[in-house]
Amino acid sequence: MTLDGAATAAAASNGATLRLDNVHKRFGELEVLRGVDLELQRGEVVCVVGPSGSGKSTLLRCINLLEPPEEGHIYLEGREITHQARRERAHDIDFVRRRVGIVFQQFNLFPHKSALANVGLAQTKVLGRSYEDALEKAESLLYRVGLGDKLNEFPDRLSGGQQQRVAIARALAMDPHVMLFDEVTSALDPELVKEVLDVLRELAAEGMTMIVVTHEMGFAREVASRVVFMDGGVIIEEGPPAEVLDNPRQERTKQFFGLVLER
Amino acid sequence: MDQVIEQYFDLSVMFDGQNFDEVLGGFKYTLMLSVIAGVLSLIWGLVLAILRQLPGRLFAPVRWLTIAYIDAFRGVPMLLVLLIIYGSLGALYSQGVIPEWLGIPRWFGLPDPFWVGVMAITITYGAYMAEVYRAGIEAVPHGQTEAARSLGMSHGQAMRYIIVPQAVRKVVPPLLNDFIALMKDTSLVSVIGLIEVVQAGRDIQAEQLNSSALTLGAILFLIVTVPLARVVDHLIARQARKTGRGGQARSTGEAPPTAGLGMGGGVSQ
Repeated sequence: MTLDGAATAAAASNGATLRLDNVHKRFGELEVLRGVDLELQRGEVVCVVGPSGSGKSTLLRCINLLEPPEEGHIYLEGREITHQARRERAHDIDFVRRRVGIVFQQFNLFPHKSALANVGLAQTKVLGRSYEDALEKAESLLYRVGLGDKLNEFPDRLSGGQQQRVAIARALAMDPHVMLFDEVTSALDPELVKEVLDVLRELAAEGMTMIVVTHEMGFAREVASRVVFMDGGVIIEEGPPAEVLDNPRQERTKQFFGLVLER
Repeated sequence: MDQVIEQYFDLSVMFDGQNFDEVLGGFKYTLMLSVIAGVLSLIWGLVLAILRQLPGRLFAPVRWLTIAYIDAFRGVPMLLVLLIIYGSLGALYSQGVIPEWLGIPRWFGLPDPFWVGVMAITITYGAYMAEVYRAGIEAVPHGQTEAARSLGMSHGQAMRYIIVPQAVRKVVPPLLNDFIALMKDTSLVSVIGLIEVVQAGRDIQAEQLNSSALTLGAILFLIVTVPLARVVDHLIARQARKTGRGGQARSTGEAPPTAGLGMGGGVSQ
């Protein structure tokens, strides 16, 4: 990238850690994202809420390029990551994956690896850390998410909540600048939700920049710096939690939270 | 009645010193052929399966070629492959197309029909096994690839550390089944002059007008194949138990908690 180009990109991102500009994503006929604009400052915690099929998960998957958007631009730390040219795309992907971690609803732990190896593997293979450093880091992260006694367990011997905490540790091991959480408690039994949300709370308190797609309104109210309400592939409303959750301006938002509260 | 039993089960024919040695010697070839060609087929099949899964437009020709190869060799009799290779090697050698230093394969003191057999079996069974591996690779949930890629792994790293190790575990039983079939098909190599167990028995049958030596060959086969089939049954039952226990198997909970794999091994502080 030329100096000029770098300057333009930096200007385009307004100094935001992450900026989405008119992002569109289609799956065949179905347009899942229909022009999303979003900005994230460093240390912000944005909770994305909305009905199923509103494009929340797709939004996260676009940001880390698991599903590259067809239209629009995404800037991460001032660099565009949505180049269309094949050659640049590989660099984009590499750039994003080293800075953005994602945790999935279904955990997706590697079932043939112990908790420690799940957290350690990519450190050695992707970041080139030594075996010892990777293990040390994996161990300390697993302690941090409260799994110090499960280091050598395999995923099928862990509860859903424990598996999800391993998955969080696995993503954190790559020293991400931004973390994406895709309905990380939706596959969990109710009594296991808290242990996972506690880890997220802690991360937020430590100043991690994160986007949390969630149905846990209580969590959003408590932790989010900003709540984003999505429906039909666009952002309907965004603002401080008290505003969006308790006093929404848009009809659609009112309707949604009305339904949620009635339950 | 006695004559009937004698025709097939004459112990004096089976265990006549010379006959027995010939049949056993033939079975030695059968076993060596099975093991060497079996191992090579396992490797070649995995290579083909991976080539078939290479991503992107750049590798499209490789994928097409691999698919064409697999289709071709799954679709023709192995006997035909065997005859083509055996006949053509000799002809090409005499025409000087195959260089002198390479020569006709007679490595490790084993005759050239043996090595031609190894080639034909590997070429054919590699294609079968590639399909088995492919099924295994496709059975690994897509979330595994996504998790690996999201951690920054390349396609190759994801395949090597995450997908293939899980796929191989899933396909051990069908691969063993293929191995049993492969072992039986080694008898085809008798057609190009290898005195393996079937040919040895045939020679005795022709000479002594008694089929017991072939029966002995059959028994030798069964001694190996029946236990193998039981192992396959056992593995399948175990896998079924595992998936059954986990209920609706998510992306997790399928691999056995085997210690010492990958990084998990040496750490127990």
